[in-house]
Amino acid sequence: MSQVKPTARTIIAARDVDKHFGAFHALKKVSATFREGEVTAIIGPSGSGKSTFLRTLNRLEAHDTGSIVIDGIELNDDLKNLDAIRREVGMVFQSFNLFSHLSILKNITLAPMRVRKMSAADAEAKALALLDRVGLKAHAHKYPVQLSGGQQQRVAIARALAMDPKVLLFDEPTSALDPEMVNEVLAVMRELAHTGITMLVVTHEMGFAREVADRVIFFDHGTILEDSTPQDFFNNPAHERAKSFLTQVRHGF
Amino acid sequence: MNWSKQNPGWTMFAAMLGLLAFLWGLAIPLSAAPDPIGPAAQQFAEGARITVWLTVVSGIIGIVLGVLAGIGRMSSIAPLRWLCAFYVWIFRGTPLLLQILFVWLAAPQFLPDALQPSDFACAIIALSLNIGAYNTECVRAGILAVPHGQIEAARALGLSPLQTFIDIMLPQSMRVALPALANNLASLVKDSSLAYAISVVELTMVGYRVQAESYQPIPVFLTVALIYLILTTAFTTLTSALETQLDVGRKR
Repeated sequence: MSQVKPTARTIIAARDVDKHFGAFHALKKVSATFREGEVTAIIGPSGSGKSTFLRTLNRLEAHDTGSIVIDGIELNDDLKNLDAIRREVGMVFQSFNLFSHLSILKNITLAPMRVRKMSAADAEAKALALLDRVGLKAHAHKYPVQLSGGQQQRVAIARALAMDPKVLLFDEPTSALDPEMVNEVLAVMRELAHTGITMLVVTHEMGFAREVADRVIFFDHGTILEDSTPQDFFNNPAHERAKSFLTQVRHGF
Repeated sequence: MNWSKQNPGWTMFAAMLGLLAFLWGLAIPLSAAPDPIGPAAQQFAEGARITVWLTVVSGIIGIVLGVLAGIGRMSSIAPLRWLCAFYVWIFRGTPLLLQILFVWLAAPQFLPDALQPSDFACAIIALSLNIGAYNTECVRAGILAVPHGQIEAARALGLSPLQTFIDIMLPQSMRVALPALANNLASLVKDSSLAYAISVVELTMVGYRVQAESYQPIPVFLTVALIYLILTTAFTTLTSALETQLDVGRKR
């Protein structure tokens, strides 16, 4: 656990966030704040709105009403604000989404060079250091298809870290992986959790949520049903819905 | 074939060099050929050069048009989308020969004397617009083939829409579009023969003239066919080597 200081400042403040997809009400006035350095596991059944909520935080989905403030910047139609926020908020996707026409090294150096205007030499040095950290330095000059799913996801994490984000969003980072590759990705995330970066992790990995997260949020039908510590959530969930979800998930393993 | 797959860069270089050497040196072996080919060797060489010029110039303009109109067809601005769809509709839906004749006969009517295009320029305009329309659809298919997740990843990393387009979408869509674009280029080598209708002295026109003087259509047209085959082979070798070159990241 990353031991968030009680005095840590708020870095994400979502208030009354509402989102529809056509007639489907995906998020119903969701409010939550996240403090700097906090590691939050977001869990819940499929279609409960957990991924949608995560995707509104860097505006891959625009929310209909309500407000989202990240590091003091309001997330709205203002493109300047959006660019500023996307520089501070990294994202790791379920399907990795590496750029298939670029080498591993170029996948990582692209954004620092284009967005942060870093020199090629600096960006490469940084990328190699990050690849070393995720244990893939030897693969720098390969292409994404040449790597396994677990390796690709570790590259995707390195790519997000290359922008020095304050917040890292993980959208089911291990759901597309073969079982034997899940642990190598979780190990990298576990190591990250201790570095003080703010992490929001949508996941079905209950073991990870229990061990690594400071906080667990349980989504159901577009609302946050429970918001508590892993101990409280896993030992005495307050709602029937959360209890039955946990029972089902446990039976799955 | 294996060698060319392993050394796409060298293959492209060799194909280009071979094409140039062929164009420059074509008259030499031909002039040694018996009547009616030998005496007309220079004419054949000149005709082949014009054919290659027509292909290369309208091929390049056609790619630019195809990329622009292909992007236009995906635009969020509806009138631009309609304009590009209209362009494709017109040029795919009418005969190329009609388009060539139209440009050649219509240009003098609405252009001032100082701006009158040459016959060659008329052929270039019509061929470029025609192949551009076909290229538009190839480019559009290429853009549609770029996985949406990669575009989201680029945006999430803070790349602007323009940077996302240039760094992520364009290279990947061109890789997908390339085989179809190469196919269009091979057709263009042959389609350029329609320029004979507006008295551009390209290869087919040369063949027609030589056989008209010699009354020997069989050796003349066989020679013309052979030159076309060599030209299309050079172009397809060039483009397939380029495909292999750009195929990085897909091969294991």
